[in-house]
Amino acid sequence: MENYVEFKNIRKAFVGVQALDGISFRADGGEICALLGENGAGKSTLLKILSGAHQADSGEYFINGREMKFHSPMEAIQAGVSVIYQERQLVSELSVTENVFMEDLYCNRAGIVDFKRSHEEMQRIIELFHMPFSPQTKVKKLSAAYQQMVEIMKAYRRKSQVIAFDEPTAPLTDAEIDILFGLIQRLRDSGKVILYVSHRLKELFRLTDKIIILKDGRFVEDVRTANTSEGYLVSKMVGRNVGDTFSALKRNDQMGDVVLEARNLRGNGIHNVSFQLHRGEVLGFAGLVGAGRSETMQLLFGGDKVKSGEIYIDGRLKKIRNPKDAIEEGIGLCPEDRKEQGLVLGRSIRNNLTIPILNKISRRGIIDRKRERKLSKEAVAAYRIKTPSIEKIAMELSGGNQQKIILGRWMLADLKVLILDEPTKGIDVGAKAEIYQMVCDLAREGLGVIFISSELQEVINICDKVIVMRDGTVTGCLDRKEMSEEGILSLAMQENGE
Amino acid sequence: MDNNVNAVKKDGKKKNNFKSNEMIMMVFVLVLVILIFTVLNKNYFTYANMSNILMAASTIGLLAIGETFLIIAGHVDLSCANIAAMSAVITAILINGGMSWPLAIVLVAAGSTIAGLLNSCLVNVFELQPFIATLATSNVFMGVAYLACSGKSLPVGDKGFNAIGSMRILGIPFPAVLMVVCFVIFGFILARTIFGRSVYMVGGNAEAARLAGLNPKMVSTILYVISAVLAAFAGVLMTAKMHSGQPSAGSGAEFDAITAAILGGVAFTGGTGNLAGCFIGLLIMQCFNNGLTVINVSSFWQIVAKGLLLIVALLLDFIRRKKVFRKFLEILKAKEN
Ligand SMILES: Nc1ncnc2c1ncn2[C@@H]1O[C@H](COP(=O)(O)OP(=O)(O)OP(=O)(O)O)[C@@H](O)[C@H]1O
Ligand SMILES: [Mg+2]
Repeated sequence: MENYVEFKNIRKAFVGVQALDGISFRADGGEICALLGENGAGKSTLLKILSGAHQADSGEYFINGREMKFHSPMEAIQAGVSVIYQERQLVSELSVTENVFMEDLYCNRAGIVDFKRSHEEMQRIIELFHMPFSPQTKVKKLSAAYQQMVEIMKAYRRKSQVIAFDEPTAPLTDAEIDILFGLIQRLRDSGKVILYVSHRLKELFRLTDKIIILKDGRFVEDVRTANTSEGYLVSKMVGRNVGDTFSALKRNDQMGDVVLEARNLRGNGIHNVSFQLHRGEVLGFAGLVGAGRSETMQLLFGGDKVKSGEIYIDGRLKKIRNPKDAIEEGIGLCPEDRKEQGLVLGRSIRNNLTIPILNKISRRGIIDRKRERKLSKEAVAAYRIKTPSIEKIAMELSGGNQQKIILGRWMLADLKVLILDEPTKGIDVGAKAEIYQMVCDLAREGLGVIFISSELQEVINICDKVIVMRDGTVTGCLDRKEMSEEGILSLAMQENGE
Repeated sequence: MDNNVNAVKKDGKKKNNFKSNEMIMMVFVLVLVILIFTVLNKNYFTYANMSNILMAASTIGLLAIGETFLIIAGHVDLSCANIAAMSAVITAILINGGMSWPLAIVLVAAGSTIAGLLNSCLVNVFELQPFIATLATSNVFMGVAYLACSGKSLPVGDKGFNAIGSMRILGIPFPAVLMVVCFVIFGFILARTIFGRSVYMVGGNAEAARLAGLNPKMVSTILYVISAVLAAFAGVLMTAKMHSGQPSAGSGAEFDAITAAILGGVAFTGGTGNLAGCFIGLLIMQCFNNGLTVINVSSFWQIVAKGLLLIVALLLDFIRRKKVFRKFLEILKAKEN
């Protein structure tokens, strides 16, 4: 029995945009089929139609030859379709088991949940995924990466015939990615239909068999992964040649004085972190999930309480009690979790862009609306946020475009230090290159930039120096000349105190 | 790029239509309510009765302003009506004790900030749910009101003070004028100032707002205080209108205030709504309640009807978020063009 999914002429419009404009293609079981396209090309929308979360305006889709029309995610799940969304869909107050077995926890005959059996089953899955948490752990206690793994376990457990992954690796680091890919390959080998969305081209070459290219809601081409090249894919999805992103970068090579110094920072699982950041420097932070990079930044930025340690800005000791203080000192932060920490999803792009600069665009507390609109439009243009209007609600943007709002927000503020926590998460290849250049430009203007990324290639090619962390401590520091993937990884996995 | 700019213009216009459409619908409902009752009873649409409606709306309107701010910011204040009752009684006591009435009003307003700070403290420091915290303080304030006057109503003889309740400006009762002025001022604050924007952002996602430099706890503290001070003024108005301080004066008014806000499109999920909507919601509610009295619906049935109105308001909020409604608006819009 061959599994397959087929889309025929799927169209879907939202207010002001034609998200999907007649998509047709077929994905077969036993193959991993990638969906590739720029931010806002319509990938997530297509998957949401497949999962019943949205309904297509017109067109049909078939599973194993039978036409399907899902009105709700529940129907799709029952028909054997699981979609792992870009945005996590977990109930953070509940345990891992309850989330994974959500709709069918084991029950005894009286209909009472058999937690013992459910937890046992969960434990088996956790072992399969080599994860360190327990079935009883509350999801809110887990890091973004582990939450993502829980999301994937949910789909795995349902034993669906069709499984779609929407940028599953965005919050993960290499170790989890290896585990995940192993599992996806096993699912493929058991004949399931796998759809896979990612902006990381390397992953597509490593994992997928076939690549479907979308652009502006239209199908462009499907290619066998084995017969294509990165350059070709990029040119097809962006519509022009992008060239080698890294070698084309104009980097800054003049470093100024120390602008930010942290001495013996402690708190929030961080022990004794010290470092210096110069004007014009791009300082990388590398490490595995849970190494404490984001936590360190939250301390610097006043997002969490500092237990002890000092922060100096331009050589002067500063007390940063909350993010407001940090922003007043000229520090900006793009947090890693855009849904929880980054955006006010229900408000417009304009509202989201101007939160940190409200003081600057106001007179006596009254917002200058003309100025606000003008600046917002500039930011939308500079960051190529794909939207029909600055009044569009942030929630209605594609994932990558949401990320760009968080970056764009700081363009408008007057900063000395910009902290970027996984800034290229979910961003397409073309836009990534733009962001890299932007980081370099900011450094040339004399900003100190802190750049956290789990993609080692990024860190190596952009940063002047990289600090490697593990378990809340700094395990090493490498200069531009000394950087290599192996070097960073070995520091990242090093035991404490060697 | 060019393409983009065009799109912006088009959509910008659409967006405006979308918002004003909702507003037009609400005004339409208001007119409908007034029409229906006018047809049912010719005494409804008269100067005297319309004055009555505005008079009744004035105290609830003040509470509804505070409630709208709080609900947009993701909070709620169930204690405001009892802060009003407490203020009503204390005003009467102070004036009867020989204090000049302007000073009494200032003192009562100042005192009410303590009530607001207490609410804020429970919510922000002890991290209680706003609903629970203000439900508890609500009882405390009611108790204080009854204790202060031993459960009796306290007549106030001061003519100057009582004039606040009966004075008219251009034929409109002064309390109503005061309420409208407050709506305008606070509407401006909400729509146009940094503080107003902070209220929306904090209500939409407090953590994101905090990480972008706003201070959610500070914002909500100010809001609880605003709500309490407005409630104190409402209490002063009640005493002036009735020429006596009555501990039972505002009982249940918090629900009326919340109903007005929800009817006006303020969503309990936080982050959306505005005061213009709340104002129309308030008028709809008052016209409806008054209409029931005018056509002689028994007061017990009126209570049921009030409850039903709140349910209708919540349903409207639900429908507004549904696609069906958007589709409907889109069709309307298409017809217009
Ligand atoms: N609920 C919605 N309301 C309005 N517009 C939407 C909605 N969801 C998506 N869109 C629009 O549809 C288009 C396609 O979005 P989609 O999320 O499918 O893109 P994507 O290919 O997944 O992009 P990304 O790589 O950034 O995740 C975008 O222009 C987006 O703004
Ligand atoms: Mg997407």
